[in-house]
Amino acid sequence: MDSRSLLSALFGEEDALKKGLTRREFMSTQAKGALLFAALSSGLYVPRRVLAAASPDIVVVKGSPGAATRAAVGLLGGMEAFVKPGNKVVVKPNMSFARGPDSATNTDPEVVREIVAMCREAGAGKISVVDHPLRPNEMCVEGVRDACRVFPDTNVQALEDKDLYRKTELPQAEKFRKTHVMRDVLEADVLISVPVAKSHSSTGVSLSMKGMMGLILNRTIMHWRYDLSSSIVDLCTYLKPDLVVIDGTKVLSTNGPGGPGNVLKYDTVIASRDMVAADATAVAMFEWYGQKMQPRQVKHISIAHERGLGRMDIDNLITKKVQV
Amino acid sequence: MTFQRILQTITFTAFIVLLYLAAFPLMSPVPVDLFLRMDPLVLIGTLVSARAFIPLLLPAVLIIGFTFFLGRFFCSHICPMGTTIDISDQIFHPGKKGGPDIYRPVPASLRIMKYLVLLFILGAALFGVSLVFLASPLSLITRLFGLVIFPVVALLMDMGLFVLRGAGEILGLSIFPYTAIEAPRYALQFFIVLIFASVFGCAYLSPRFWCRYLCPAGALLGLCSFKPFMRRRVDESCTRCGLCVQKCPTGAIRTDPFKTDFSECIVCLRCTDICPERAITFAFPGRNQGKAESPLSGQRRKVLGAGLAGAGAALVSLSGLRQQHRGEAPGQIVPPTLIRPPGAIPEADFLARCVRCGECMKACPTNTLQPIGLLSGFTAFASPVITPQLGPCEPHCTVCGQVCPTGAIRSLPVSEKIWAKVGTAYVIKHKCLAWEFDQECLVCDEVCPFDAVKLQRVEGLRVAAPFVDESRCNGCGFCEHHCPVLGDRAIVVEPMNALRLATGSYREQAEVLGFSFEMKQQSSYEPAEREEKDTSKGFEDALPPGFTE
Repeated sequence: MDSRSLLSALFGEEDALKKGLTRREFMSTQAKGALLFAALSSGLYVPRRVLAAASPDIVVVKGSPGAATRAAVGLLGGMEAFVKPGNKVVVKPNMSFARGPDSATNTDPEVVREIVAMCREAGAGKISVVDHPLRPNEMCVEGVRDACRVFPDTNVQALEDKDLYRKTELPQAEKFRKTHVMRDVLEADVLISVPVAKSHSSTGVSLSMKGMMGLILNRTIMHWRYDLSSSIVDLCTYLKPDLVVIDGTKVLSTNGPGGPGNVLKYDTVIASRDMVAADATAVAMFEWYGQKMQPRQVKHISIAHERGLGRMDIDNLITKKVQV
Repeated sequence: MTFQRILQTITFTAFIVLLYLAAFPLMSPVPVDLFLRMDPLVLIGTLVSARAFIPLLLPAVLIIGFTFFLGRFFCSHICPMGTTIDISDQIFHPGKKGGPDIYRPVPASLRIMKYLVLLFILGAALFGVSLVFLASPLSLITRLFGLVIFPVVALLMDMGLFVLRGAGEILGLSIFPYTAIEAPRYALQFFIVLIFASVFGCAYLSPRFWCRYLCPAGALLGLCSFKPFMRRRVDESCTRCGLCVQKCPTGAIRTDPFKTDFSECIVCLRCTDICPERAITFAFPGRNQGKAESPLSGQRRKVLGAGLAGAGAALVSLSGLRQQHRGEAPGQIVPPTLIRPPGAIPEADFLARCVRCGECMKACPTNTLQPIGLLSGFTAFASPVITPQLGPCEPHCTVCGQVCPTGAIRSLPVSEKIWAKVGTAYVIKHKCLAWEFDQECLVCDEVCPFDAVKLQRVEGLRVAAPFVDESRCNGCGFCEHHCPVLGDRAIVVEPMNALRLATGSYREQAEVLGFSFEMKQQSSYEPAEREEKDTSKGFEDALPPGFTE
């Protein structure tokens, strides 16, 4: 739901606004407005009524990284909707490169910190922030680890040792049917994907679906034995995040995933329960190599849609856009 | 415990700790290669073969200097090879533990052997061929601990951790949940193991067999100590019981307890401790009691023979097929895998200095530095090369140069090291997933720290294919390491265009040659709401890489 339709829903017929208002209508609108303003600022009214009426499939929030992240999860019902007290949570940001957040190759640490903070507020038990990076471990996770230092019992880890993975069947996969998955992930109650939005020169984009490759041990096999895009979908039949929060505050628009490329500042966070819809929204919303692309143009997104993993027809879904 | 045992324990522990600390990032207040830099053979051998005095080896100058006063104190108090042999002598000595030593008699005339080994090495060094690695005690022992014992211990610890974790899981405990021990691996392990099997095995023949009969560093010190200032002295209370003769670990007291062969004496002071009459002292200034003439006097033929043999060995190896020549002569065979570490000085000088101690290989965080076999001729045996399949050369790391005891690899700051190009990457199109099989793959582009690999659309291919921008490639090998193609990778680094500078700035030289190695860093910010399309990368209206119609 965009802001315009929200307005008309609350303030009466859009036509009336256009036609010119009678005095009485004007007064009534003003009163409603004042009431709404009070309710909004108190924070009591809007979340319950409006959200209950139309729970969005996709949330798009503009704002600073931390605040936008919090608002985005809030609009999906808050972290309590995903994390129950005592749950083991795995947060999967992109920490694959030894570069700062300005390069948009890794998820902004502030976004990750906000997610971890919300998980703790929801009463999560063990929280692991994990990735299987490409460059030497410590240099990649540095940023996120620093950001999460305020939460002493949160593990920010780059895992490479084979003992920390376990061989796992992917029962719904077509071809890529077995792989070693991180033990932490296998034992987790909740999986939250927090990718940064970036281009990817062989899969178009690297978002939540592509990011699941950071939870397994042997990724190169997906390149040479299988078709990369369909094996990503195979992997996502098993590794299906409960919540996806895409960091679009800075988007690596060209030369991804490693950069350096053009970084576009969108100050946007996208959240959804549906990884395909979240990724599709990011594809459609951001500019890639100076062009507007359709979700169907990303092979793994369109295969995932066909196989019923999620929906890329975002125009048929309810999207809520907010600015904080 | 005696003073000598205490000091020996301290120095041996220091050696092990420093070797352990030879790692990235380097976090030792003391130079980790200190012991190597004390080895007198490393000093003299390299001095001759490299025709240069290497200031890094100043500690060895001090050791030699002190030897004139104190005798071969280095061998008994400092040398970790000696300590290791002492330990192995305890384990392998013949006879029962605690029982009398039953050694087979070794003719004393064999002692000359160590001098001949020394002269053999110096003879080869005259022709610029460094054979120091064959018998330098510090090179040998650093190799043993760094390339064999550390990896084996790490492997054991990794296995132990696995068992511990399993046990913890049964008990519901989470033990070291994220600890990972990566055991490095090395080539030529059995070459090292065989040498030491023979060295340790000789405990059957005599204690400290190596030090008595073979060690050229000991020989060098022996030449400096045949008339030391501080000497063993036996006073009149001696009853000629012969205990000191029997227990001297180097046989420096031959038959007459009053006489000492000072070139053989390692000043371990055992005789002073075991003498029932307390008749033995080491004192300044020592009175002349014993043989005080050069151990080589009257051996001119053997000396000449050994030197000539060394020179001959050097000439034979220099005439080998795979020997690298100075300059790039036509017909030169350059092995495609001969990729030297960044900062390695020009090949001939590099080989003249490198003592094959393996310190750089031990310290390398990605395990990419490996000793080679006969790939590049005998003179390059066991010298380090980058092995990209095993690991890339980490751009931020400069540790190999920092730990090199002889400056064969220059110690460079990161800002220079990045410009020390070690080779160039080539795409092997007929193996590449993108070029040959039209499969989506971009790993080389993704991992390149220098943005030297670019994926571009090519006519006839559905996917974008990799190209190497040679001017940006410094040969680090991230692409080869991560390439998913098995067997030889589909992108390989070869030593083409490697920069080898003995002095001066790599950056300046690289820039003169038109190279530009900038680490991928901060990208440019641009407003999201732009009207015109991004044409800077030459994509214009073409489909962005990775997308489909």
